[in-house]
Amino acid sequence: MSTFVQLLINAVQIGAIYVLFSLGLTLIFGVMRIINFAHGEFFSLTALLISVQVGWLTSQVGLPPWADYLLAFAVALVVLLIISVLVFRFGFAHYLGDMTSGFILSLGLVLIMQGGMLELFGGYPRSVPALVEGSITVLGGAISLQKLLICALALAATGAILFMVMRTPLGVSLRAVAEDQEAAMLQGIRYRRIALYGFLIGSALAALAGGLIAPLAVILPSMGGEFLIKAFMIVIIGGLGSIPGAILASFLLAAIESFGSFYVDLPTATIGMFVLVAVVLVLRPQGLLGRVVR
Amino acid sequence: MSSDNLSRLAVAVGITLAAYCLLAPTDFVVQVILWMALAAVIAAAMRFVMLIGEFNMATGAFYGIGAYTAGYIATSLDWPLLLTIPVAGVVAGLVALALGYATMRTSGAYFMLISFAFAEIMRLFYVESDFLGGNNGILGILVPAWIEPYYPAFVVIVCMMLIVALAVVERSHLGKIFTAIHNNEQVVRSVGINVLAMRVTCLVIASIVLGIAGSLYAYVASVISPGDFTFMLSVFALAYVKLGGDKHPVGPVLGAALLTLVAQYLLGFGAYDQLFYGIVIVMAMLALPNGLLGRLAQLRLVKPLAAALHSPGGRDA
Repeated sequence: MSTFVQLLINAVQIGAIYVLFSLGLTLIFGVMRIINFAHGEFFSLTALLISVQVGWLTSQVGLPPWADYLLAFAVALVVLLIISVLVFRFGFAHYLGDMTSGFILSLGLVLIMQGGMLELFGGYPRSVPALVEGSITVLGGAISLQKLLICALALAATGAILFMVMRTPLGVSLRAVAEDQEAAMLQGIRYRRIALYGFLIGSALAALAGGLIAPLAVILPSMGGEFLIKAFMIVIIGGLGSIPGAILASFLLAAIESFGSFYVDLPTATIGMFVLVAVVLVLRPQGLLGRVVR
Repeated sequence: MSSDNLSRLAVAVGITLAAYCLLAPTDFVVQVILWMALAAVIAAAMRFVMLIGEFNMATGAFYGIGAYTAGYIATSLDWPLLLTIPVAGVVAGLVALALGYATMRTSGAYFMLISFAFAEIMRLFYVESDFLGGNNGILGILVPAWIEPYYPAFVVIVCMMLIVALAVVERSHLGKIFTAIHNNEQVVRSVGINVLAMRVTCLVIASIVLGIAGSLYAYVASVISPGDFTFMLSVFALAYVKLGGDKHPVGPVLGAALLTLVAQYLLGFGAYDQLFYGIVIVMAMLALPNGLLGRLAQLRLVKPLAAALHSPGGRDA
């Protein structure tokens, strides 16, 4: 029982990060019809920036660990948003709605960012010290406070994004553009501006996921790739552009990962996920909750 | 066979390089020629699947399947080289058949995503498989003594034949169906053609070619490991295609040759390599929408070239 609870809590924690990451990917696709392959690089760059800054702050300024972390997080987020605006303005803005070109451009961006990160930060693993110490016991399963905190933050962020998409004027514009761009423009929605906001929110979500994973993971320039592959499987299972689909599939894959890596091992669990994806594609090509995108 | 001056020129250059490899089978230039030839095949196979409008991010993975198949049966089963090469092609083709039938039902972005994931899954599979050497890969894939002096020339010739074969298929009736699927799938469906079967066929043909090329690579490198065949290989292939131009079969060959040369003589390996290829892709996207060939055709330097590019699939001679 205690093992089961522990694995379940673990699955929720992994799933919460997957939700943030894949929501960003699916949001960008919905608004711009572009698959941003550099999404994973935005994610790893955030984690790297936080780890470098926290290291510097700890040695130079005597703040508590959580304050160091928050400060570093804020700076990293600003850097990422500046990069996103530049990438949009000089790249994606010219290829809105053009899936092929946008995809190729984002691959170029992947290589540039990968090369840049290796050059700036080196290829060796880094880490961020724990924010909070200690652990609590829930139903016989021990869980560290740190994981609980990060999980809560990720779920709160997901809730905020859902509220934004469902209940605010910006969210309505985003959904309108995703549903039918021309009809949305006829209603007076400024497509390019909404596309920029969609891209910034999507990139911020990648950065948020990267920032939240930083205290838990081994931080490497290549770490985004693993998440990108999981996120691709998530959007295929959930349906491209579908927000509920992405949330459902995130927790499904996280459960496979959590239980699979305990009872078998992680690579086998990942191969199992891929088989599941293939089966979904055969039975429901548009994903569990997706619509056929033409 | 219909052809144009550009294709003839490319074939002539290929034969010249093969002859050079016969004369000097061991110097460094020959090594570079081999990498160029193999890169050209990967790029041509990438472009071939682009005919149906799909990006095969598993291009590098199928090349890897060929290399691993050849490596395994050459070292563990001791089969002769002339048998391992076709078997590698067949195995890659069969895997493509299974993957294609499972994933080619939808158009749009799904195949791109799933093929990207597939490349990573293959890497995990190699790492997990002890009989394939796990993390260390397969060592000691040696060219038999009887063919060793001729092997570089053999590789160049086979690579050229593979690229020519893809170009011939592209200009055949089948190739026209592929292009039609890209242009308007509904019309193709309306005349009673099974679109799914055609899309899978396209992927299988490209994968057989990649499998054969991968097996050639296994003997060239003599050591293969899981990290050699990640999606990065597919990204490089895309860079070759975009730089050379995707309107003509010679485009990817030109791009592959140029980028391989630059990478060999100007750069070491590592971070700068990725940066360089990334910048090439972005620049080609923004400044050369039809690649170098398209740019050359625009300059009217080569009249026949423009003619060859304006009718997709070249002129019928």
